[in-house]
Amino acid sequence: MPALLEIRGLTAGLQGQRAVTEVVSQVDLDVQAGEILGVVGESGCGKSTLAAAIMRLLLPPQVLQSGSMTLRLKDGKTYELLDLPEADLRQLRWRRLSYIPQGSMNSLNPVLRIERQMTDTLIQHGLSREEALRRSIAALELVNLEPRLLDSYPHELSGGMRQRVIIAAAVSMRPALIVADELTTALDVVTQRQILQELAAIRDELGATILIITHDMGVVAQIADRVAVMYAGKIAELGTVNGIFESPLHPYSQGLIGSIPREGGHRVEGLPGEAPSPWNYPAGCRFHTRCPHVIDRCRAQVPALLPQGDGTWAACHLYEPEVLSNA
Amino acid sequence: MRDLLVVENLQQVFGGKTRTYAVDGVNFRIPEEPAIVSLVGESGSGKSTIARIILGLLQPTAGRVLYEGTDISTRDRKWNRKFRGEVQAVFQDPYSVYNPVYKAERVLKLVIRKFGLAKSKAEAQTLMEEALRAVDLRPEEVLGRHPHQLSGGQRQRLMLARVYLMRPRLIIADEPISMIDAGMRASFLNILLDFRETHGISTLFITHDLSTAMYLGGEIIVLYQGRIMERGQTRAVMSDPQHPYAQLLISSIPTPDPRKRWQEDLSAGPLAEVGAGISSGRDRCLFAERCPAVMDRCWGARPHLQAVDKASETSRDVACYLYS
Repeated sequence: MPALLEIRGLTAGLQGQRAVTEVVSQVDLDVQAGEILGVVGESGCGKSTLAAAIMRLLLPPQVLQSGSMTLRLKDGKTYELLDLPEADLRQLRWRRLSYIPQGSMNSLNPVLRIERQMTDTLIQHGLSREEALRRSIAALELVNLEPRLLDSYPHELSGGMRQRVIIAAAVSMRPALIVADELTTALDVVTQRQILQELAAIRDELGATILIITHDMGVVAQIADRVAVMYAGKIAELGTVNGIFESPLHPYSQGLIGSIPREGGHRVEGLPGEAPSPWNYPAGCRFHTRCPHVIDRCRAQVPALLPQGDGTWAACHLYEPEVLSNA
Repeated sequence: MRDLLVVENLQQVFGGKTRTYAVDGVNFRIPEEPAIVSLVGESGSGKSTIARIILGLLQPTAGRVLYEGTDISTRDRKWNRKFRGEVQAVFQDPYSVYNPVYKAERVLKLVIRKFGLAKSKAEAQTLMEEALRAVDLRPEEVLGRHPHQLSGGQRQRLMLARVYLMRPRLIIADEPISMIDAGMRASFLNILLDFRETHGISTLFITHDLSTAMYLGGEIIVLYQGRIMERGQTRAVMSDPQHPYAQLLISSIPTPDPRKRWQEDLSAGPLAEVGAGISSGRDRCLFAERCPAVMDRCWGARPHLQAVDKASETSRDVACYLYS
């Protein structure tokens, strides 16, 4: 089955005075219809840039340099997201593609009631006031909020309730794809659990596809079907959630999983060194400066993201056939 | 036996007409022998307020803090200076504690100068390098750099190097790893464990992240709306929490293991979030409106901490009528 969203060779960066600094480089990723795909990585790895690029919402000095993104909807419509004019994109956003940027629970307008903030967008998309109100109430129910909340102002709501309002607004047009960036980062564990469980229920109820961007390995372990591990602007490994947590292939994924503090008694070691910033990405494999298994070709050649069986893909020279046969 | 730090009936009330009880009758102690005590709770549970009171940054409404038996509000200059040397703070934000204009190592140099730790420049340099190595930083990757050239993890470890120079007896660490990357967290926590084991430095570790408390071990104190709900050895509390709030909190940890997913769906249940507990005063269990095991008496009077399972290693104190 073709993917809902097919990303090929996506490269985005920061426009400097003379040159563009690549932040996300040559990303290939298929987002399958109906899945929850977790994108994980440390801060600065480009995961938020990738999310904004998918929405075509990069703001200067961010620039989209190259690549393609194909959105294939259930009704047979296909869109080349990078070729669409802004006016068409506006129609797609919210209706087909929804985006919950990091920290958006703090972006509600403090002087407008929730009702106005939720219905305005829907009216912009051509719905009548009554229909917009009906949809808003239905969306609030999806996140277990009562309709009377529509009369509230943002400051009357807790952080968890504001985040739920944002999610409700984002799903009120029943989008095909929801991109959520650090959705529960600022919330308590109990609220986080409730919201993530609501998100999974929304996926089941609306048949939506969810791309969840997070630095929290616990969050992806709990709700993702598949996981993409990003490092220094590239996808290091992609696989099922069980595969990534139980038998990670890429040395970076291994380090990331291995450095999770677990139950007391046995110590875990952190990953040595620091992730490079876009201004000094190393040549070859960008992880080679920290990799415990580095070989000569890692310093010279960029490893391609290749299938390794069982739905796992890894960008690492160690798993290339000729290296494996020499070992 | 004398305790290093004793927190007695601490209460902190903010505001005038609508009073907010940030801390409401909290008692705990940190023993003389090196220990790690974790203070956990959601945002608004009062954990940072307790840290600020212990550091002397905030005057409590009621109650007191004793350090080596002396009330910290005693305004004896000499004693205060000793206290400030022996009790060190590490805060959440590894960005805001640095002055961006100066080189990062200034935080070390100031300590060396103010506390007269070195007699010469060369000695100061040696001290700095030793401190950096103690926190797994290579001197060459830090010295001579400005704060913005360091990562959050490096900056936070640099704060530990500063603490190390002082050789305190107690570190008050308020959410020290919530802003640093996953790969770096373990090494930060390992440094705290090393400090305890090799240098006898205790830590009061304040966090909302229960899995890091579990990693550190020692004792755990679970706060809810300014009150202690449960207290005991971390491993015992985490594996078998007694208070319904502790049970809810611990079962909600996003365990980084896809084979141990959350079981029951909380999203629509009776535990769904309730607005701030304004309903019926404070002489009651504050968790009553969210509690699945709530009884009539929970609304009648405040449950006090009581020892449960006294004899064994899993003993702990619980503030809940289910156990009295």
